[in-house]
Amino acid sequence: MSIELKLSRTSRVYRPSELLEGKIILKSPSSISHYGIRLTVNGSVSLQVRGGSAGVIESFYGVVKPIPIVNKNIEVKPSGKIGSGTTEIPFSINIKKPGEENLEKFYETFHGANISVQYLLTVDIMRGYLHKSLSSTVEFIVESDKADLLEGPIPSEMVIFYITQDTQRHPLLPELKSGGFRVTGRISTQCSLTDPISGELTVEASAVPICSIDIHLFRVESVLLGERIVTETSLIQTTQIADGDVCRNLTLPIYVILPRLLTCPTISAGPFSIEFKVSIVITFQSELSKLHSKSDPGTPRLWRALETLPLELVRARV
Amino acid sequence: MEFRPRNYSAEEQSHAVTRVRADDHPLSAAPSSALHLQVAVVDHGNSDFFDPLRSSDDDGAVSRDVLLEVDNVSSVGLSSEASMQNSAKEWTSFNRILMQKFPVAKMISVSSMSSAIIKGGKMYEKASTSTHLEELEDPQKVAEDGAKLITRNEYVSRLHELKDEIIRAWRASDRVTTLKLSIKVARLLMDTTVLQFYPTLFVLATDIMDTLGDMVWERIKWKAEFAEDGARIYSLPENFQASDIYSDAKETCYNWFCKIGAIRELLPRIYLELAILPCWRFLTDRPEESFQHMVMMTRGLADPLASAYCRLYMAHCIEKFPTRDKGYLVKCVNDIKNLLSWVVSVKETANGNIIDNKRLLVSLMEPTIEFITKCIFKDVTQKQVGNILVELELGRNEVELFGNFPCVSIVLHHLLKELPIEVVSSSAVEILHVIECSNDYSFDQCLNYRLLGFRLCESKSQTDILNTVADKIIQVVTQYDSLDEYLKVVDAFLDIIFQNQMDNHLSTVLEGISKRACNKGPTEDELGSLQSILVKLLSYYDGLQEILALNHFLEILDVMYGSSRSIVNMHILNMATRTACIDGPTTIQLLFEISQALHDDMDFLNVKDDDNQPAHLISRFVCMVDYGAEIERHLTFLVECRGAFGSITGLKETLIHSSNCLAIKSLKNGSKHLGFVKSCIAFCEVTLPSISVPIRQLNLYLETAEVALLAGLVSHSDGLINSALSCLQGLDLMDGSRMPIDVDGIVSSIRKLCGLLVMVPGNPEQGATYFAKNILSLIDLQSWMKPKVRTKIFCAIVSLTATLSQNKLPYHGKVLGNDHLFFGDSSYSNELTLLAKYVVQNLVDAIQQEPSSAARGSLALEACNCIATSFIASEEISPICTKLLETAKSCLSHNDRYLQSTVKFMDRHWPSSSIAAAV
Repeated sequence: MSIELKLSRTSRVYRPSELLEGKIILKSPSSISHYGIRLTVNGSVSLQVRGGSAGVIESFYGVVKPIPIVNKNIEVKPSGKIGSGTTEIPFSINIKKPGEENLEKFYETFHGANISVQYLLTVDIMRGYLHKSLSSTVEFIVESDKADLLEGPIPSEMVIFYITQDTQRHPLLPELKSGGFRVTGRISTQCSLTDPISGELTVEASAVPICSIDIHLFRVESVLLGERIVTETSLIQTTQIADGDVCRNLTLPIYVILPRLLTCPTISAGPFSIEFKVSIVITFQSELSKLHSKSDPGTPRLWRALETLPLELVRARV
Repeated sequence: MEFRPRNYSAEEQSHAVTRVRADDHPLSAAPSSALHLQVAVVDHGNSDFFDPLRSSDDDGAVSRDVLLEVDNVSSVGLSSEASMQNSAKEWTSFNRILMQKFPVAKMISVSSMSSAIIKGGKMYEKASTSTHLEELEDPQKVAEDGAKLITRNEYVSRLHELKDEIIRAWRASDRVTTLKLSIKVARLLMDTTVLQFYPTLFVLATDIMDTLGDMVWERIKWKAEFAEDGARIYSLPENFQASDIYSDAKETCYNWFCKIGAIRELLPRIYLELAILPCWRFLTDRPEESFQHMVMMTRGLADPLASAYCRLYMAHCIEKFPTRDKGYLVKCVNDIKNLLSWVVSVKETANGNIIDNKRLLVSLMEPTIEFITKCIFKDVTQKQVGNILVELELGRNEVELFGNFPCVSIVLHHLLKELPIEVVSSSAVEILHVIECSNDYSFDQCLNYRLLGFRLCESKSQTDILNTVADKIIQVVTQYDSLDEYLKVVDAFLDIIFQNQMDNHLSTVLEGISKRACNKGPTEDELGSLQSILVKLLSYYDGLQEILALNHFLEILDVMYGSSRSIVNMHILNMATRTACIDGPTTIQLLFEISQALHDDMDFLNVKDDDNQPAHLISRFVCMVDYGAEIERHLTFLVECRGAFGSITGLKETLIHSSNCLAIKSLKNGSKHLGFVKSCIAFCEVTLPSISVPIRQLNLYLETAEVALLAGLVSHSDGLINSALSCLQGLDLMDGSRMPIDVDGIVSSIRKLCGLLVMVPGNPEQGATYFAKNILSLIDLQSWMKPKVRTKIFCAIVSLTATLSQNKLPYHGKVLGNDHLFFGDSSYSNELTLLAKYVVQNLVDAIQQEPSSAARGSLALEACNCIATSFIASEEISPICTKLLETAKSCLSHNDRYLQSTVKFMDRHWPSSSIAAAV
């Protein structure tokens, strides 16, 4: 006996104003009677505090009470009997009824380290005390309603950056300091989630050969804990754009496709906020770096130069 | 038995066809009728005969229109199957060449990057204990040279395993594993330390990439066409639009791009994205937009080798689209150019990826440049060429296709190779400037000059352009110190110099070569170029004299050696022997020396006599030499030749022929040269015994004997005939079973000898029939003499005796014939009759021994004819003839023409006899 939920869209992406459609698929060798089939839609922001700027005690009591967004319970079928074989029960639920007041804003789905916004659809078949009730859960992904989005195309904001031995706030290898380097370019700081982070970069000069140039994408998650805000920055994705000592004065493209679920529009709600950062990291060839090959790529090191910029992600009307 | 008396002169007169004066020469056809004929042909051609060469003008236009139409169709329709298949085929063959081009060592040093290979394959650890110790002492060092050794075969088989795993995972719907393994494979391409193995690695890895790309394409296509339950919901046309694609399929497709976009390392990301590049068509109607992005992304690869091959793969992937826009590929070439100039400028660094040996690097990169430039210039229009050249930073604008901008020379080389010929010929001067200012170690500048020369030869260019180019080239090569470079460039331009009669340049070039070559002997490579140049020179001129008159030609020839020298020598000889005769002592002397050099270089042990070209040429040269009136000098020359070319067997025959010709020539001039004729014959007599092929020797003996007889040197001719006979005797022993003896040839030689014997005065001491008897005894001794052969020889001897019995012989030599010597001598005629009797008897016996009945029949007829013409009908002879005719009748059909004509002949000549009645 098995139960399965199948959503109408393979991408599982729905907007709050849309109908969540699909079917419940039941497979059973014999007919079963039940006390009703119910569907539950549950959306919430779960928060936890771990590492980052949190103290020891806070991280011990890490979990903060989740913030509910939506919680609905609908009976699809009243009590009755289901025949043997495969049975398909179609359903259709309003995620958010027009005019219906909600607990919280429908934040977009986001899977982070400390914060995660998740929407679940669960089906339960109640079968009395003698039988175990059957249930199945599926996650669906929520994207903001078009109506809630800003009008018109997002002006893509570009920032021009310079990376030289003098812009670095951390100590550098002596040969880097003396030889000098200069990498310039531009990168978007406001970006639609459906577009890649774009920009370009040129190595104008570098005395020490370059080993690699990478674009790191970070999430900055902040949780309000009592009076304090606990913020943690963690790496989402690294994209190499230059491998080896590239030609000088040749424009290289910056092009990073934003990973789904791991990114969402930048949010600054009361109890929590989700922000993003992008950093351009130039790793120079150095004997030292080979010893520390497993070190965190984001950390400033003697053989690295970097430039970190805030990145605002938005949901654009397509 | 009585010989039939003959009156040869009367017979000749009665049988000769009466001569009538002809009005026209048989070969000169009447002009009027020929013209008429031609017109008829032309008319005919216009009506229904299609001559592809003649009517090219109008038909060519039609076909061009058709071509244009085809072009339009292929650019409108998104993919024309045929061209796709064609480029796929090209790619396969290119890959094969690529793998063969670079020899790979058995063991490959793999850096730690290539973990996919290391995990799977067995590794040859570099002495594990010592590694461990080293690690303790110097952990950094181990980290640094994580290189391990693996055999080539293991590497390849590991790649094949990976491919199988990928396909297996795909079939099991495990797409994550498929992707992970594919990334692993693509990552292998990051390791360029494998050097010569890299092209092979590239071929194998991109094969896997293509496999993945195809699988993804098929899956998305399936998703677009079929519902989940397998029912066909839509049928995609060949040139579908992105709007035709069901959103679910689009979602899957986009997902693939996202997954691949999340790969951290640049190189595997690019390769995988390229692999699924065709899938952009599911998402957008302008998939070309993604090319631009790919081209730019590849710039991030700093390793010259990796990035060049990555661009190669890109060119291959873009070829899958029917796009006509060559801009992406042009950008690729530009980037390679930049990269190369960057590599050229960067000093050696500690970076392991920049290879010490830059030449090796360039040679490894060369195929990629070659392929991409080929793709660029594949069916481009004239206008596109202009754009391309401007974009390649070669041209200022579309009119000035070439500015004076330098270009990396290896790139320039391949561009020049692929440029449409019209562009090359119209912009030759400008191209020359570009070559001039592009000089770096990536490719020899002189080879680019050389290529330009060859390209210019492909079609006819304007004379003024060619003049400018030639002037410039001469200036350039004059600067060269190295003979090699000088020759390489000059070789390519020689045809242009000849075709445009730039004689001043030719003499400059020859002087330049001789100056550079004479200081220091040419090397093997240079010899090849020299050979090519001299052969061109020889083929350009008609006569040897003109060439010999060229300054420095002989000096240059003298510095050559070895097989190149021989080849040039052969060309010279070939050229000399094309003319009617070779005269002039200096020419002869020169050619003699050339022949001598050729002879000394010949490898007689390895060359079969039949196809020995140099030997043929030398023989031909000797044969054609003509000293005119200086016949003594000529004979001396022949003697010299015999000494010089001793090992050429065929040549001796030529020498004997020539010597005999000389003798005849002097005879014609009058008998005062008898002493000279004697020396000629003496020369032959001395030379003859060393001829190894007995049949040839036999014929030459006979030939010389004839000459001797003609000169009245009876004792010489007797001696020569004797030698010929002993040569016949030795025939069997010599040839044995080695090869089938040319029996017919021998028979005809013996017949010829019989003919000659008519003139030879009989020696009273030995008997007049001495030679004929000798021949007879020879027949009995030789085992190979089959009845057929014997019959023929017997017939010949019967005829000989009959002729000798006449009061007046049909022909005479210089000496008195037997008719004069033995006139009325009864013992002479008795001797002849006795011999004839004996022979006739043997003849009849021999015929009966012939096993084949058909052969027996015709032999009997032949003998019958011979006997009937030789003898007067008598009681003795008639039964023989009757018997022979009966034999013939029993063996041949009644309708046999030979039989009938023989019967008729018998009727006419021997009407009294009863033969005809009997038959």
